[in-house]
Amino acid sequence: MALIAEQAKRLFVAAPDVLAQASGIVPGQTLADARALTSDLAVAPFDPTAITRAIDGIAQWCMRYTPVTAPASDDGVFLDLTGCAPLFGGETALLTELIARLARQGFTAHVAVAGTPGAAWALAHFAPGTIATSATERAALADLPVEALRLMPETVATLRRLGLDTIGALYDLSRAALTRRFGDGFCRRLDQALGRVCEPISPLREVPPWRERRDFAEPLLQLEDIAVTLQRLIESLCARLAVEELGVRGLECFGFRTDGSTARARIGTGRPSRDPAHLARLFAGKLSLLDPGEGMDGMVLSPIALEPLAPEQPTLTRDDAQPGDLAVLLDRLANRLGAANVFALAPVESHRPERAQRRVAPNTAAHNLRWPNGMRRPLRLFANPEAIEAEAATPEEAPLHFTWRHVRHCVHCAEGPERIAAEWWRNAAPAARETRDYYRVEDEDGGRFWLYRQGAGEASRWYLHGLFA
Amino acid sequence: MTAYAELQVTSNFSFLRGASHPHELIATAAALGHQAIAITDRNSLAGVVRAHEAARQAGIRFVVGARLDLDNAPNFLCFPTDRAAYGRLTRLITVGRRRAPNAQCRLTLDDLLAHQAGQVLVALPPERPDVAFARALKDIRTRLGGPLYLAAQHLYRGDDAARIASLATMANDCGLALVATNDVHYHVPSRRVLQDIVTCIREHCTIDQAGFCLMANAERHLKSPDEMARLFARWPEALAHSIEIAALCRFDLNELRYEYPVDPCPPGLTPQEYLVHESQAGARRRYPQGVPEKVATQLAHELDLVGRLGYAPYFLTVYDIVRFARSRDILCQGRGSAANSAICYCLGITAVDPAQSDLLFERFVSAERDEPPDIDVDFEHERREEVIQYVYGKYGREHAGIAATVITYRRRSAIRDVGKALGLSLDMVGALAETVWGSSLDAISADEVRALGLDPEAPRLRLALMLAGTLLGFPRHLSQHVGGFVITKSPLSEVVPIANAAMAERTFVEWDKDDLDTLGILKIDVLALGMLTAIRKGFALIEHHHGKRLEIASVPQNDEATYDMLCRADSIGVFQVESRAQMSFLPRLKPRRFYDLVIEVAIVRPGPIQGDMVHPYLRRRNNEEKVEFPSIELADVLGKTLGVPLFQEQAMRIAIVAAGFTPGEADQLRRAMATFRKAGTIHSFRAKMIEGMVKRGYDRDFAERCFSQIEGFGEYGFPESHAASFALLAYVSAWLKCHYPAAFACALLNSQPMGFYAPAQIVRDAKEHGVEIRPVDVNHSEWDCTLEPAAGSTSGVALRLGFREIKGFAAADAERLVAGRGNAYADPHALWRRAGIGAVALERLAAADALSSMGLQRREALWALKGLGEAPPPLFAHDDPLAREPAVPLPAMSLGQAVSADYGILRLSLKSHPLALLRDRMAARGVTPATDLAGLTNGAQVRVAGLVLVRQRPGSANGVVFATLEDETGIANIIVWPQVFERFRRETMNAALLIVSGRLQHEGIVIHVVAERLEDCSAELRLLATAGETAITHQFAAAAESRHDRRFSSRDFR
Repeated sequence: MALIAEQAKRLFVAAPDVLAQASGIVPGQTLADARALTSDLAVAPFDPTAITRAIDGIAQWCMRYTPVTAPASDDGVFLDLTGCAPLFGGETALLTELIARLARQGFTAHVAVAGTPGAAWALAHFAPGTIATSATERAALADLPVEALRLMPETVATLRRLGLDTIGALYDLSRAALTRRFGDGFCRRLDQALGRVCEPISPLREVPPWRERRDFAEPLLQLEDIAVTLQRLIESLCARLAVEELGVRGLECFGFRTDGSTARARIGTGRPSRDPAHLARLFAGKLSLLDPGEGMDGMVLSPIALEPLAPEQPTLTRDDAQPGDLAVLLDRLANRLGAANVFALAPVESHRPERAQRRVAPNTAAHNLRWPNGMRRPLRLFANPEAIEAEAATPEEAPLHFTWRHVRHCVHCAEGPERIAAEWWRNAAPAARETRDYYRVEDEDGGRFWLYRQGAGEASRWYLHGLFA
Repeated sequence: MTAYAELQVTSNFSFLRGASHPHELIATAAALGHQAIAITDRNSLAGVVRAHEAARQAGIRFVVGARLDLDNAPNFLCFPTDRAAYGRLTRLITVGRRRAPNAQCRLTLDDLLAHQAGQVLVALPPERPDVAFARALKDIRTRLGGPLYLAAQHLYRGDDAARIASLATMANDCGLALVATNDVHYHVPSRRVLQDIVTCIREHCTIDQAGFCLMANAERHLKSPDEMARLFARWPEALAHSIEIAALCRFDLNELRYEYPVDPCPPGLTPQEYLVHESQAGARRRYPQGVPEKVATQLAHELDLVGRLGYAPYFLTVYDIVRFARSRDILCQGRGSAANSAICYCLGITAVDPAQSDLLFERFVSAERDEPPDIDVDFEHERREEVIQYVYGKYGREHAGIAATVITYRRRSAIRDVGKALGLSLDMVGALAETVWGSSLDAISADEVRALGLDPEAPRLRLALMLAGTLLGFPRHLSQHVGGFVITKSPLSEVVPIANAAMAERTFVEWDKDDLDTLGILKIDVLALGMLTAIRKGFALIEHHHGKRLEIASVPQNDEATYDMLCRADSIGVFQVESRAQMSFLPRLKPRRFYDLVIEVAIVRPGPIQGDMVHPYLRRRNNEEKVEFPSIELADVLGKTLGVPLFQEQAMRIAIVAAGFTPGEADQLRRAMATFRKAGTIHSFRAKMIEGMVKRGYDRDFAERCFSQIEGFGEYGFPESHAASFALLAYVSAWLKCHYPAAFACALLNSQPMGFYAPAQIVRDAKEHGVEIRPVDVNHSEWDCTLEPAAGSTSGVALRLGFREIKGFAAADAERLVAGRGNAYADPHALWRRAGIGAVALERLAAADALSSMGLQRREALWALKGLGEAPPPLFAHDDPLAREPAVPLPAMSLGQAVSADYGILRLSLKSHPLALLRDRMAARGVTPATDLAGLTNGAQVRVAGLVLVRQRPGSANGVVFATLEDETGIANIIVWPQVFERFRRETMNAALLIVSGRLQHEGIVIHVVAERLEDCSAELRLLATAGETAITHQFAAAAESRHDRRFSSRDFR
């Protein structure tokens, strides 16, 4: 498996996995060369943002070992293990566990421990598994390549041209001479690795400030108590939100049971909201998820997404909201029926009528897409066109009459044909690859229908695809 | 039958819009019975000449016109009624194109109104004709003097009847007539698929995302008049109006009766008189001992013919350009059929002496053909721009322009674009595109796809391959021709639209050479030839260092030593005969006189090879076969070439003499030869020629070989005159190489890029010829390579490499460095202070090991220069910070590292050859050095290894790949047969260092290895670069030295 990126119209391997590396694939290789080494190489596009996200995720997850974690450049995570290792049985045990747990998540981790972030980075990249102390660091780094110092690529290239390939080769050189040639940053990197200057790890993330928490001296046992507590949590959160003119797009409630398990319930809103009553009502159907079991000794309520919400908004969603308030209705419906069952139709750019729309969540950007202008489409489009009996004077004309569901309709007037060819690039059954001639027809009773003819000559068949109002 | 003429037709010259070639549209319209057809490409007339020619062949009337897309108004079809109106249309398009960047065109209604006189205009309604359109139409009606029509299309959109009716009302309200069109985008419905694809390519989206960019149905094809009549049954007058327009617009491209600009002649002389005068004066200069009878007769005959045809001004124009070049000491020489002319020789345009060869002037100019001659002149490639600027200066941009080249879809570009449009994954498209070798016009075969591990039956992939096959040969954009000039008397922009070229200050006309040819418009090719540059530089060096003044004509002829050298295939750097194939022929052909070289140049070409004429010729020449002529009448034609046809003229003469073609037919055949790859018309001649010959008693086998040779001439055939021009340059360059190897190598290096070989091989070859090569050095080098006195050497000179060999080093920096050098730069600080060049350039000098005259090796030099900081200080900063620094012990470089670093920046090394350093490892793998191959027997099993210098897969060799490997002892020639190539495709195509196992094959003194197995050993080269260092065993070591470093790159001719 390898991630690939396109550069100058060529495809390059950006990141090979362990197996790919084992067969000799290296970053920077063209895909064609890599394929030649392993013909069954699976590839996926290299997506830097996805990688940043994944690294952030790992950094967060690593908070189980220490409160201070931070993503390091674009391929690693710093953990400040100061004082934490004993909790896990020492550094070696911690490393073993960390690697094993990450492996279960599908990550191959290269880990090293050292007295400074710089040295740890160097060892993790170029001598993974090393646990160095301040006493052994200098020796451990000496044989590593200069790339291990986190230098600019040009600096590394120059060092290599000078034959200064290892960190050890730099130990004996005059600092003044090095600084003159490579700038201040160079010696700082060296010093950071060797612990001569301090490099703080800026912790990844503070506790989300909008979280509301209650701990109970006596575990709660009744669902009603839970509901009341939840109500208070919501009110207190909404009060804070009002000050900042923010609203939530969803809430998540965690209940910590005495047996160590966690209960969880979650609601979503179609529009940002900070109306406690509305939010509480949305939770109403989900309270059972917060069953206290043997007892619950703490609850946390945290917002899912925050969006600006102007102050006048609360008046619209008062408890006596008007029936016409679509957003409130949609939220209620969605929370009751399930989000998947409340949808809107959005246009899709396709000439084939049955593919020209799709289901989307209401009140989203997709929902607000404009429908194409000027296309005459029936109000009601059948999911499956219904076969009809029809007769036309010539193959290029609308039918004179047709029979649909055993009822015969005489065509009073007709417009067409609108010729819609199949989307040839799709893999479809032969019948679906035929061109259709659509007609808008009106029968003598004023009913208006959308019919089409498919297939040529003798083999042509008629269908009814929709009804106009 | 209904009368109808389709007037709204988008061909594929509306790039990425139309999905049919003009000739397909024309032929279809003719077959459907249209009375006439127009091609109306968007703001362009690029396709009209092809359409005009196709219409002539199909026997349908062609209406010249264009679709004009305006910025602020409805779009129009514009049809000029006469020559003057046509000139206004081309000028209008020129205005729009000149004011818009890259290939766009910006026109407004005012522009159109300014050029409206004599045009028939057809307004095109928008998607949904509305009130605004009706208002615009009314407004335009009042401002237009000429006829205006409104187009209506039946588009099968459901509302057609209503829409056309409302258009009819609008037309009626404004007092215009409705005309039916079908907005044709392709000639048959099945092209809709391709039309969708080019739409996706244009919109940069995939077919799945394209949505409403695509058309809903396949109705935009040419329809029969009856079908159109049915669709417009309620508006029969709309069809009649199409005929009316066609009848109004009688302008025919043949009217572009071309008047050639007349250069000023001396007072009292007509151009013809002046030409006669100058030719005769020239003849006396050429033959100081008296003009030979043969030449005088020939000259008189030519002058008479030129006089009758009125081409004198044309000859004088070329004469003037050549005289200008001579006055600036720019070497030039005519090529092609012009060398058939004694006039051209006497005027100094060409260099082939008519006294010594039989010329076929009719090949160049013939009364019967009534088409303009075509004089192509090569100039030194570095100075051609001066000539071009002279032409512009003399005639002005209003009258001179460069022809276009139509860039068409080739395999690689077609599969890449179609693959992307079909949403194939990036890597699949990449793999398909990279598998394609060259730009051949054959579709990608299923086997090639399977070789990539892809399934050619997978639906999307199958579609992609099929559509890419159709897209082949579609025009993609226009570009400027390398040097084809059109010069006109009337303003050029009234003959053909002119567009901006990508290069600043360049423009080109919308038509390519074939188009100009079709219309009989004169043009002059001002071409660039690197060898002329090299020869001029070589002459200059010889004059400076050896005090001997030379020019092409004064190079001693029939020089034994030179021919001896060529017979040894010792021809690296020699014009035309340095290629691998030529080299293997030289020892077999054993050239001993000039005409042998003419044959050598012409014979190793696809034409004779494909016609299997090469081996019969060689056998006869080596007296292994009796020289026989297929008939007495052919003895005349084929006498000089021992009964084997080798030249284009001979093929034509055979058609006349042996197959009974008229000269006119033979000329059509020649034209078919030139264009057969495009149009495939040559096959119609096949039966005629072969049967004609058989009927006259020729061997069928011989007839077929003659014909396949003609086919082979398609793109690559040489006329004898052209071969003679080139052979002359081959001889001159060989003579230089033979007698002044240092000056020759120096001139070649200073004319790069050119020729077949990279500087490394030129340097190596010079070394092998006893030339002392000295490294680039800040205290000795100039920008160019130079010759230095060398007491020890036989020639008294040594070749000093110049700064131009340093990758990424700028000429301006070299100039500053040399200017500031004074006596010498004593140390890096002096260099830094006085040379006045930036830190990056200084580091390049260090990397190139160019400070060794200061006693500094590459690493020490870099360390020192790094310590001096960024910007050079003011001149008076005398304080050297380095003086205060303690010495720094940098690790010494191994030889391997040094060689590798040399290649990295210079692409060559004077220190050693990489293979010399790897020799022990290679020997352990059973590899034989290249020089030892000669001692092995034919058929021996061998292994050779070397840097890949050149890879070639010539079109004439049926997929055989030729590679040239170089080791420290010499060169090994590798032949890879297709089956082996398929198995070792990647190795063959990508490796920098190859080990080849195979069988030895002797052919004369040329040795090949026929490959059976190939191994990519490029990793060994990386090893070389790190050998002797602390072993770094981590995953990133390999990454740091990516496979794609181009240090040891080859020249690939795909």
